[in-house]
Amino acid sequence: MDEALANADAGRSPAPATPVAQRERSPDAAVPQPGKLLVAIAANSFSAALVQTAARLAEAFHLPWIAAYVKTSWPLAPDERRCLDESLALARKLGAEIMVTRDDDVAAAILRLGQEQKVTQLLVGRARGDRRIPWLRGAPLSDRLLEMADRFEIHVMPTEPAPAWKPRSRFDTAPRSTWGEYALALGVLAVVTGGGLLLPESHYMSVGLVYLLAVIALSLQVGRGPMLVTGILSALTWEYIFIPPHFAFAIYTGENLLLFITYFVVALIAGELTARIRAQAQNERLREVRATAMFQFTRALAEAKTLDEAASAGLRQIDDLFGAQATLALADESGAQLSPQFAGSFTPDASERKVADWVFQQQRPAGRGTAPYPASAGYYVPLLRENHAVGVLGVKLSPEETWRLNQLDILEAFARQLALIVEREHLRASSEREQLLAQSEKLHRTLLESVSHELRTPLAVITATSEELVEAGGQLPVARAAEIHRAAMRLNRLVGNLLTQTRLESGALQPRLDWCDARDLVNAAVANARQALGGHPLSIQVPRDMPLVRADFALTEQALTNLLLNAALHTKAGTPVSITAGYEPEPRRIFFAVADRGPGFHPSMRERLFKKFARGEGAHAGGLGLGLAIVHGFITAQAGEVIVDENPGGGARILLYLPYAVPENPPPE
Amino acid sequence: MTPAPKANLLVIDDEEQIVRLVRYTLEADGMKVFEASTGTVGLLEAASLQPDAIILDLGLPDLDGIEVLRRLREWTKVPVLVLTVRDSENDTITAFDVGADDYLTKPFRSRELLVRTRAILRRAHVPEGPSVVRFGDVEMDLSARLVRRSGQEVHLTAKEYAMLSLLVRHRGKVITHRQILHDLWGPGAEQKSHYLRTYMIRLRQKLEADPGEPRFLLTESGIGYRLLE
Repeated sequence: MDEALANADAGRSPAPATPVAQRERSPDAAVPQPGKLLVAIAANSFSAALVQTAARLAEAFHLPWIAAYVKTSWPLAPDERRCLDESLALARKLGAEIMVTRDDDVAAAILRLGQEQKVTQLLVGRARGDRRIPWLRGAPLSDRLLEMADRFEIHVMPTEPAPAWKPRSRFDTAPRSTWGEYALALGVLAVVTGGGLLLPESHYMSVGLVYLLAVIALSLQVGRGPMLVTGILSALTWEYIFIPPHFAFAIYTGENLLLFITYFVVALIAGELTARIRAQAQNERLREVRATAMFQFTRALAEAKTLDEAASAGLRQIDDLFGAQATLALADESGAQLSPQFAGSFTPDASERKVADWVFQQQRPAGRGTAPYPASAGYYVPLLRENHAVGVLGVKLSPEETWRLNQLDILEAFARQLALIVEREHLRASSEREQLLAQSEKLHRTLLESVSHELRTPLAVITATSEELVEAGGQLPVARAAEIHRAAMRLNRLVGNLLTQTRLESGALQPRLDWCDARDLVNAAVANARQALGGHPLSIQVPRDMPLVRADFALTEQALTNLLLNAALHTKAGTPVSITAGYEPEPRRIFFAVADRGPGFHPSMRERLFKKFARGEGAHAGGLGLGLAIVHGFITAQAGEVIVDENPGGGARILLYLPYAVPENPPPE
Repeated sequence: MTPAPKANLLVIDDEEQIVRLVRYTLEADGMKVFEASTGTVGLLEAASLQPDAIILDLGLPDLDGIEVLRRLREWTKVPVLVLTVRDSENDTITAFDVGADDYLTKPFRSRELLVRTRAILRRAHVPEGPSVVRFGDVEMDLSARLVRRSGQEVHLTAKEYAMLSLLVRHRGKVITHRQILHDLWGPGAEQKSHYLRTYMIRLRQKLEADPGEPRFLLTESGIGYRLLE
C-alpha cells in the first residue's frame, strides 16, 4: 500500500521541465525572474528611513533595487528639497539605481516605472493621518497603488513608529472624565428646555415627561453625581419656566404641586436605580477581571515546572494585570531573614528593601500610601504560610496611579498563591533530599555488608587453615594447603576489582589507546584466568587476518580476564568456555566474545548485569558483582559497547565491541 | 642451570612480610639476603655491600623506587628486579626505561620469584653473548646475520632482523615498546606502536610453530616484548 503510494508519487514528481523554460522566455510573463525592488521616495524627512528599509529588503530578497522620485508640478519647500537630496544620496550610497520622473499622478508614474524596469517588489511609505482626510490630499499613494498594481508585491511602511503600548491597569473602568458627564447632562437639559419653549404653554405637562425621559436616558450614560444635579436642576427648571406661573418659583394648584413632587421623586429614583445598575455592572466587570486574573495566575503557577519558572510567570502576570512592575524575594537559607536577592521587573533600592524587610518581619503588608512607610515607591505583601513568612512580593505602580482596595485584595490573594508554591517547592526539595539520603545510606549498608562478607570469607579460610598448619607443625594434607592459596587468590581478585571500580568511579580512568594485537590480548587474558579455568575446556579463536585493535591494552585485557573468570566461576567444572575475536564488516567493528555452555543469564538479570553489586540469582558465592560492571566501565571508556546475549546452542555469551580503525602502514624498507 | 653459588642479594622494601617471603624463598636456594627498608638506606647498602642483584619495591616510603633505580644506574650495572602492583603499567615501563632488568607484579608466587632472580643473576654472569643463539627450532647467527629454522634459512627484512636481534641480545629481558621503536625507527617514532605489532606478527609467523600461541617471542602486557631463553 505504502509502496504503491510511493510509486504513484514518484511517477508524478519529476515535473516537466519545459513549462519552466517557457515561462522564463515568455514576453508576457507576470513575474519576470529575477526582478527588482523599487522604492518610491517622497520629499519628506521620512524618506531616509524608507531608503534604509529598502536596502535591507533588497539584501534579503537578493534583488537589485531602484530608488524612484516622482516630480510633481508643486514646488518644493527648501527643507523638502534638502530631505529629498539627502535621501537620494543615501540610496546611491547603499547601492540603488536612482530614477526621477515627472508626473502629477504619482501612482501612475510609479506603476509605469515599475513595468518598464521589471520590478517585482514595491516599497512605499504611508504617512499617518493620510487615511483620515483622504478628500483633502487624495487617497494615499499606498492605497492607490494597492488598487492599481496587480503585478507587484507591495510593502507599505508606516512613516512613524507606532507608539509603544502604554501599560495600563485592567482595573481602569472610568474612561470618561466626570466634568464631561456634567457637561453632557447640562447640554441635554438645555436642549430639552429649548425644545420645550417652542411648545404652547399649556403643554407644560408633556415637557415634564420629556424632562423625565431625558433624565432616565442620561442615567444610562452618566454617574451618580451628574444624575443628582440633573434631577434637581431639571425639576427646578421645569417648575420655574414651564409650570404656571411661568418664570417664577411658585405653584398655585395642588395638582401642579403633586406633579412637581412626583416628578422630583421619580427623577431621583430613576437616577439612583440606574446608577445602582451601573455600579453592579461595574462590580461584575471587576469581579470578572479579578476571577480571570486569579485563574490566569494560578494556571501560570501550575504550569511552571520549577520555583523560578513559577515566580517569573507569576510576576509577569502581575505586571500585566496592574500595568505595574513586580518583584519577589524569598526568605534566606535560615528562613529568618529576607534574602536581598530580588527578582522581577524592578529591583528595590536600599530604602525599599527596608520596607520589604519590615513587611517580612511583621508579616503584614505595607508600602505606598500606608503606614508606616507611606512614601515608599512600592507596595509590599508578605507571602505567608502558617505562622511564618516565606517571602515578600513587591509591586510598584506608575507614580500617578494609586492603589484601589480591590487591587490590594487581589495582590494578597496572589501572594497567598505564591506562598503556596514556595512552600510546595520547599517540601519537595526536602523530601527529595531525604529520599536521596536514605538511598545512599541503604547503598552504603549493602555495600559494606557485602564487602565485609566477601573479604572475611577467604580471610576466615586462610586464618583457620594456616593456624592448623602451624599447630600441626607443617604436617597438613596438600589439599588443605591449597585451600589457603585458593582463598588468597579470591581475596586478590576482590581487592583488585574494588580498586578498579574505585578508579572507574573517581573518573581517574583515562584509556591510553594503543595498537594491540588481538591475539596478544586474548593470550594475556587466558593466562590471567588460567588457574580459575583449570577444569574447563577452553577454545580460542582468532582469525589469522585479524586486524590490529585500537584499544587500551591493560583495560581490554582486564575486561576479557573478568569475562573468562566469570564464565569459569559461574559454570560447573567441565563446562566448555570459548573466547573468540574477529571483526564485523557492517558496521565495521572489532568484537571479542566470551561464551560458555552454562545456564546462561536469566532475562530479568540482563538489565542489571552491569550495575555494581548485581549478582546473578543463585550465583555462587565468591564475587561482589563488580566483575561485569568493570567490564562495562572499561569498554565504554574506550567508546566500545558490551552486549549480553545467548550463546547459540545454549549458555551465556558476552560480546565486547570496539571501534575499528586502520593503522598507518610501517614505512617500506 | 646452577645458580651462582652464595650470591648476595639486597632487598629494598619497607614491607616486612614481603622481605621475609623473599628471604625464605631465596635463602632456601642458597642465596644470602640483605635488607633495606628505605630507598636511602638501600642506596647506601648497595654501595657498601656490592650485591650480585637487587630486588627493589617501587613503592617506598621515602624515595620513589624509580628514583632509587635511576641513582643506582648512575654507577652500577647490578641486575635489578622491581616489584610492582597491578594498575601501574606506567611505572613499570618507566622502570624498564630507567634500567630495570625484570619485574614481578604483587602478589607473586615464590616459585616465580626464584626463577626470575636466578635468571637475572645468570644473565649478569654470562660473558658477552655467543654469536649463535638457539631458541626452539630457530638458530640465529649474529655474526653471520643468518637466521635458520629447522636448518632452513629464513629470510628476514632488515627491520625484522633488527627487532629479533635486539630481543636476542637481551634475551630473557623485557624490552619496552619505546626502546624497540626508538632503536629501529629512531627518535620520534616512540608512539608508532602499530609498527611493532605488525613486525611482531610477521616475526612470529616466520619463527613460531603456532604464531597464535607464541612460545618464545612473548608479549608483556602493555609493556613490551621478551624473548624467552
